Amino acid sequence: MKNRYTLGILLIVLLLLPNLYEDADSRFESWSKNLLCPVCQGETIFDSPSEYADDMRSILREQIDKNLSDDEIYTYWVSRFGERIITNPQNRNFEIILIPLILSIFFIAIFIKKVLK
Amino acid sequence: MISSIGLIISWLCLLNLIILLVSDDKFRIQLLIRLNLLLNFLLFCILEIALFIDDFSISYVANYSAKSTPPVYKFASLWGSLDGSILLWNLVLGAYFLIYIKYYKKTTNSADIKIFTTIIIFFTSYTIFSSSPFAGCIELASVGCQSSSLLPFQDLVSSLEGRGPNPLLQNHPLMAIHPPILYFGYIGLVLPFVITTSYFFRKDTSSNWVQLASNSTFYPWLFLTAGITLGAAWSYEVLGWGGYWAWDPVENVSFIPWLLATAFLHSSKTQINESTLLNWNYFLGGLMFLSTIFGTFITRSGVLISVHAFSNGNIGVFLLSGLAFFTLFFVYSGSKNIKYFATSKKIKYIFGKSSFFIANNILLFVSALIVFIGTIYPIFYETLYQRQLTIGRTFFDILIGPILIMLIFLMIFSTKITVKNINFNKWLQTNLKIINSSLILTIFFSYVYQLNYLSILTLFGSTMLVITILLNLVQKKTLHKIKGSYWSGQIAHLGIGLFAVGLLLNVSQSYSDEFITSEGSIITFGNNNYMIEKSYEVRRDEKDVINLPIKSNDKYKNASLNIFRNSSQQAISSPAIFRDLESDTYVTIKFIDANNYKLIFRKNYGILIMWMGLALSTLSVIPRIRANEK
Repeated sequence: MKNRYTLGILLIVLLLLPNLYEDADSRFESWSKNLLCPVCQGETIFDSPSEYADDMRSILREQIDKNLSDDEIYTYWVSRFGERIITNPQNRNFEIILIPLILSIFFIAIFIKKVLK
Repeated sequence: MISSIGLIISWLCLLNLIILLVSDDKFRIQLLIRLNLLLNFLLFCILEIALFIDDFSISYVANYSAKSTPPVYKFASLWGSLDGSILLWNLVLGAYFLIYIKYYKKTTNSADIKIFTTIIIFFTSYTIFSSSPFAGCIELASVGCQSSSLLPFQDLVSSLEGRGPNPLLQNHPLMAIHPPILYFGYIGLVLPFVITTSYFFRKDTSSNWVQLASNSTFYPWLFLTAGITLGAAWSYEVLGWGGYWAWDPVENVSFIPWLLATAFLHSSKTQINESTLLNWNYFLGGLMFLSTIFGTFITRSGVLISVHAFSNGNIGVFLLSGLAFFTLFFVYSGSKNIKYFATSKKIKYIFGKSSFFIANNILLFVSALIVFIGTIYPIFYETLYQRQLTIGRTFFDILIGPILIMLIFLMIFSTKITVKNINFNKWLQTNLKIINSSLILTIFFSYVYQLNYLSILTLFGSTMLVITILLNLVQKKTLHKIKGSYWSGQIAHLGIGLFAVGLLLNVSQSYSDEFITSEGSIITFGNNNYMIEKSYEVRRDEKDVINLPIKSNDKYKNASLNIFRNSSQQAISSPAIFRDLESDTYVTIKFIDANNYKLIFRKNYGILIMWMGLALSTLSVIPRIRANEK
């Protein structure tokens, strides 16, 4: 029984834990992780060591410093390089997440119906 | 000369296979299968010889090798591009044919031989009718060969120097082992395909086809695991971007068969024990091989652009027609057995052993589905909207991440599950000490690493998984009673648990910084000092290397920039890696001249733990060998 109380206390501590420290990417960091460097193969400008990514980072830095909105930043980059440099297209094209989700749920439903008594 | 010999032997190979297809005599079949392997081995050796003596009258050698290419990479050039890799593909396929008749053929009927032969004929015809690595060069390009002929005894032209392999492929010896090992994985999945389709084609469902198919999947699964791991390691050691997995299409299509094979290894157990899931096992048993062909199609036909993709005119149509043919045959064989499928028993206990296996199968199959959609969706999007789209890490993080966590929690139960419903109260009672100690460890490390909720959950699950299995291994009470495959599974799970710890550290902790520095200066990064020494240049036949020695704690490592002569591509920056159990310090050169060095320092956490975990998973073969289970 004593062990169960310990379990409860430990769980509560664990739940409160992340509030003790701040854990967030800066806006610049999260944006630079979401833009692909168009001349490197499959690397974001956050990862890429190329000069090109460097230039892109400094432009992005300026935009963040000017406090441009996410939409403005998005439009700027997409109008120049196309949608393919955005690494999280699911934020705007929500069907990208929806299609696999619906298919998965559909599959799971049929599967469970078939095998369970 | 070599070109003609190669082309003629290819024809002999096809002839041999056609005779094999119509043969019914047992002895002759045995002989012809060995002859096929021998001919393919000969072809392999001949192309290697051509590569080593720089026979540039062969188009493939002229285009993918050069005089200055070092021996290891000359050897590996054989699978450095599409045509040659099909040669390796055929060799491995031939080897598996022999393995099949030696270990997995349990029937006297020869339908399986015919199916297997048809598959090999399919791939062999490609090298004869569409594109052969032995094609002689009939028109030179400025470097390498412009056009080639598939007919023997032509007047061939030979260039003085070849183009050389892709620089990325000649920068690390891992390139010489990663692809063949992966091939042993992919192609091995032909075994369960042949077994399932041949048994069902003859409506021979009385025999234990699923046990056979399951056993034959284990070794290919092992090679896939090792192959994917080596690929990730190669990417980390060579490409200098500090990562190991980019959700690149070629990586994805290697991951799909792995997920399906993992699912099949589990679902087949359920059938063996309780004769459930008959149709599902048939489906998975064949799908593994079909997904391999599909993956090859996606990445080799040029419909997708990726780091690995080398495309070639006809391969797309060729693979697609093969995929259609094998799929139709697979569906046809299955449809002959509708009545048999109807005898599949249903699951009685929702929280019993079978349900855990089913949950595992659902999660693994859904992962495969998600990876599949993520890989092909850009193609649809481009066709529909004429715009390109990138589906990358964030997509898979959102969808695959939670599934990985759920799988880890499922694996905790794998040490001991009852056939009947599990009594959760009792389970909690017996495992309370493990849970509490895992929680304490989790709280401690979560605080040290300042983890968020998702990471905490992963850490808790994997800590508990590792502790549970370690205790199970130490106690060993049932070691001699239980089958090798049980312990094999336990070790694989332990490996995945370790891997998950490494992965979550890597994802949550890694950081990087950039320094502009010069000779003799000291850089403080993390908790260490790094002394930058004077750079020096090494000139080799195939490349110039600029080395920059870096010293830390009396250890010297070189970061280097590789500039390949035969290539217009960007220089490849090889990292200097200071390894540690907790984290690597990974230094790459960004820019270098006589006075200024621009360096990127990365702190990559958990890498060694990840490699150890994956290596452990491949060691899961040992209990099987000890128990002599094939």
